[in-house]
Amino acid sequence: MSSAISPRSRRSEAGLDRRCVLAGAAAGLLVSALPGRAATEPSPDLAQLIARVTEGVAPERGRITLSIPALAENGNSVDTRILVESPMTGADYVRWIHLIAEKNPFPDMARFHLGPRAGRAEVSTTLRIAQSQKVAVVAALSDGRFVMTDADIVVTLSACIDGG
Amino acid sequence: MSFNARITMPTEAKAGEIVEIKVLTRHAMDRGGQSDGKGGTVPRKILNRLTATYAGEPIFRFDMHTGVSANPFVSFTTRAVATGDIIFEWREDGGATYTRTARLTVT
Repeated sequence: MSSAISPRSRRSEAGLDRRCVLAGAAAGLLVSALPGRAATEPSPDLAQLIARVTEGVAPERGRITLSIPALAENGNSVDTRILVESPMTGADYVRWIHLIAEKNPFPDMARFHLGPRAGRAEVSTTLRIAQSQKVAVVAALSDGRFVMTDADIVVTLSACIDGG
Repeated sequence: MSFNARITMPTEAKAGEIVEIKVLTRHAMDRGGQSDGKGGTVPRKILNRLTATYAGEPIFRFDMHTGVSANPFVSFTTRAVATGDIIFEWREDGGATYTRTARLTVT
């Protein structure tokens, strides 16, 4: 079929197409290879990560409100808000709040150190989430106990995928 | 390295009132590990700690690792006890520190 498109431009289009297909195939290979590599590595599971932070003490569930989007379009900056129920008096307060993402390259994301002078155990920050996973919050109370909660997050565009 | 911080908090508060302090920092928070094109990798360069001192006493510390986003935001609360400066100090990988001060007047 004759068209206004010159053979030259058609050829370049075909070339572009071939490149796209190749790039797509390469990307596909890369993507399919990534989980495979991750699966062969011994991935420390969440319970172990939490036990390391609490020095072996099993935290109780509850008392923490974790506000994190269930679906994040961009894992590079995820708004997170944490509220721990605590009177925050000299006798009973939250010592610290620790954030764990089990599938991040470095699972310990951040720790907030608070004290009775905070008045309220409420903090917020922006996190990097590498991929869809469970995000856990562990809080240490002044009486030596630990409380925790977790939330599942789906990340559409992952952080940490660039930079070869 | 470009660093800048915007601290949002009330300038005055009643004694005993809980004030919320929001801190937005401009920093690349380079997590490192990328290829530098010469066979090596880029070292990590993030702000690894923010401490807040209110009237000479530490009130808040934020330990950051690579899981904190570029241009990190953090908010926390403190109880207004006395008129004084709240000093924010950031520590960067490599030892550089940055300091900002905000004044809280307690009525």
